[in-house]
Amino acid sequence: MKELMTILRKEFIHILRDKVSLFLVLAIPIMLTLLFGFTISTELRNAKISVLDLSKDSQSIKLIEKITSSGYFQVISLPESEAAIDFDFKNKNVKIAIIIPTQFEASLTKEKNADIQIINDVSDLNVASILNNYMQAVLYDFIADFNENSSSDAPVEIATKMQYNPEMNSVYMFVPGIITLIMIIVTALMSSITLSREVETGSMRMLLITPVKKIYVVFGKVIPYMILSFISTIIILVISVLVFKMPIKGSLFLLLFLCIVFMFTAASFGLMISALVKTQLEAMMVTMMGLFLPTVLLSGFLFPLDNMPYFFQLLADIFPAKWFIIAIKDVMIKGSGFAELWLYMLILLGMAIVLVTISLTRIDKRR
Amino acid sequence: MHSIEVENLTKKFGHFTAVDHITFQVRKGEIFGFLGANGAGKTTAMKMMCGLLQPTSGKATIAGYSLKSEAKLIKRNIGYMSQRFSLYNDLTVYENMQLFGTVYGIPRKELNTRIFNSLEELQMTEKAKTLVNAIPLGWKQRLAFATAMLHRPQIVFLDEPTSGVDPIVRREFWNLIYRTASQGVTIFVTTHYMDEAEYCNRISIMSEGELKLVGTPQELKDKMQVDSIADVFVKFVNR
Amino acid sequence: MQAIEIKQLNKSYRAIKAIENISFSVAEGELFGLVGPDGAGKSTIFNILATLLKPDAGEVSVLGLDLIKDYLKIRRKIGYLPGIFSLYPDLTVEENLRFFAVMYKSSIKENMKLIRPLWDQLSAFKKRPAGKLSGGMKQKLALCCALIHKPELLFLDEPTTGVDPVSRKEFWDILNSIQTQNITVLVSTPYMDEASRCNRIALIQNGGIIKIETPQQIVLDFEGELFSMETSEIFHLLAIMEKCRLNCNYYPYGNHLHIAFYGNKAELLTEFIQFLDEQHIIYKNLEAINPSIEDCFIELINKKAHA
Repeated sequence: MKELMTILRKEFIHILRDKVSLFLVLAIPIMLTLLFGFTISTELRNAKISVLDLSKDSQSIKLIEKITSSGYFQVISLPESEAAIDFDFKNKNVKIAIIIPTQFEASLTKEKNADIQIINDVSDLNVASILNNYMQAVLYDFIADFNENSSSDAPVEIATKMQYNPEMNSVYMFVPGIITLIMIIVTALMSSITLSREVETGSMRMLLITPVKKIYVVFGKVIPYMILSFISTIIILVISVLVFKMPIKGSLFLLLFLCIVFMFTAASFGLMISALVKTQLEAMMVTMMGLFLPTVLLSGFLFPLDNMPYFFQLLADIFPAKWFIIAIKDVMIKGSGFAELWLYMLILLGMAIVLVTISLTRIDKRR
Repeated sequence: MHSIEVENLTKKFGHFTAVDHITFQVRKGEIFGFLGANGAGKTTAMKMMCGLLQPTSGKATIAGYSLKSEAKLIKRNIGYMSQRFSLYNDLTVYENMQLFGTVYGIPRKELNTRIFNSLEELQMTEKAKTLVNAIPLGWKQRLAFATAMLHRPQIVFLDEPTSGVDPIVRREFWNLIYRTASQGVTIFVTTHYMDEAEYCNRISIMSEGELKLVGTPQELKDKMQVDSIADVFVKFVNR
Repeated sequence: MQAIEIKQLNKSYRAIKAIENISFSVAEGELFGLVGPDGAGKSTIFNILATLLKPDAGEVSVLGLDLIKDYLKIRRKIGYLPGIFSLYPDLTVEENLRFFAVMYKSSIKENMKLIRPLWDQLSAFKKRPAGKLSGGMKQKLALCCALIHKPELLFLDEPTTGVDPVSRKEFWDILNSIQTQNITVLVSTPYMDEASRCNRIALIQNGGIIKIETPQQIVLDFEGELFSMETSEIFHLLAIMEKCRLNCNYYPYGNHLHIAFYGNKAELLTEFIQFLDEQHIIYKNLEAINPSIEDCFIELINKKAHA
């Protein structure tokens, strides 16, 4: 045990003496969170909207007022035909459009049903999905008001039909995404680099011929980066909650525990990579291409998985990010508890155990 | 004419004086040995003379160019070879020579002629397409030297060029150095083999940043009243 | 018991044979040198003996233990100083030493007696990062770290390469004192002049052993009659030596020419002096000398090349 503590101490000395890397590791999460947070929220203030009102009755006018007063949308065009909507998208920088059907008021009161069509500009998928959600919220709000005010006993439901982007993404999607990215960078990337640095400079050989247990060497090198990564995660969470009003509906303890499990998985990926490569440069390249890119592309963070070809959906399953993002979203947004999450954690832990076992045997194998 | 003129050259890193007011001259075509204990400041002095590091004070003229204002011209007119880095192992002999020749701006046609000639001279023509890492160390050293000479520098700096090669190859390498010097190229060389110091026209010994001794091997031996440069070195560093 | 026993050891990296049919043994308490140029296969032998590399073929036992089966036991009993500086450059001298002490379940105090001569010189730089030490000091620190658990067997892979002659001499004095503490030492070097500091040496070239003997015996086994002469025009002399068709080997040795005659010594010498006079070579101190290890190595390589 004394050996492990000594290796840990040594690793912290490395980290603390390399001021530039330390600064980057702590500053990047803050910058990323603020950057994502502010760009997304400014994109969303007063998004330009075009409304094709086919009924022009009292309820449709109320709806347009509701949309305007929400603060998210700025109605800049009231076209007369669907073709005109297309024109708005192309020429007036409109981000979203809705079509209010004919006889809107009548449908609402008599049939208790109305079809409102939302059209998104999905050239920017993130913005589109977020605006879509806002619009849904505005519409539900409108229906709620309508139900309250109408004397009829049966509530009205609105069926919205969405084009292009049926995925219901949350505005808070980016926080879990950033936490995932940071943990991959700090834990997987840094531990694969630091381990392959020891191989490259030859100090790993010095360590291996000592009687110290391999597991101590590996954990001693990886744990400090897990701790750094944990600090980063907390920084991101604090910023998200304080600056962006991100809710944490589930248990904070469960959330942090989940993060620790994921960190362990990320570290085991880093370990695996370092066992495969010989130099720091290779470690960096492999981590970027083999782990970082799939995390960005195949985790559902930026691009919804449901829309991808089946092959990519299968591929996404073998990377830990997908499972972690599902789980962390469930805790933060849905408020799910351990009962709903244990399977995801088990998947993440399973991956980690398999990878650590393979890496340890590989490190020991003499080439 | 002097190829290298160094006057009160000094380099300080913070409070530490790595090179302390060194002054010496090297004639054109001379083989000048630069000896000293590890950490004596040899590397720093050499870096300055190659135009890689600006001195804190003092001046130097290398190949007729001022170190302060014409560092770029110095780099064009000197060659450099070190045991630590010389050639790319994953390129062929020809590719290596072509790469370094092109870096110095030698026109393609001219470069090919020069490469052909120097491979001919080394009797390595048939190895042109061999990867460098597949040729023996002794040949590699000679090849690295030929590559450093492709742009016809006036001065060539050799940093421990024979470190780790076998005794026969070492001697062949010195023969090559000698032939090159007799063509008028100035050779500035460091070595830890004291017998090699005897091959130099003049040698200098650095210690603690200062240039303590300069002279022909015989002068230094007479001065210290010993029989070999190895004894000069030991006696000198120990006192 | 032999500290190291190697029989018919082979190792290739893909198509390149690093070492071929190497056999030798090192007795307990011996200071054994592997002498030869870079690329001769010395590092490969060390990596195999230090249990970091598996041989392709051959039998090896280290301290009576099997290289494959008992590699963990071997690791506890050996100290290893690799050819390249392998400590942590950003850790201070003291931090590096403490670190390896813990790794070996030892302590600086416990083995102070052993490392005392090294530590006395290092302690002035205790707080300096290891990467900022001079080459000689780095080696002393690395040696300290390799000795911190009082190993029975010490491997030193080219500890003096690139180190100046004075520091090299100091380093060898230290090795001799380590040997007196009942530690077997296997050391490699490309410097022939260091060979005489070993009890026995193996001359290695191109992955094979040319000769194993005590340095004294290697010198006695020199076959030619070696003469030395001093001249100020050594390279000029070398250029015209082609014309001298005597049964001899010649090569420069600083400002001396070493020439080994094979055959009737007196006759050859007379003919040689005649040749020098014909060519108007100015020389002095032409005399018979005792060969050095370097002379012997050159003779052995030449013999191998002509065979």
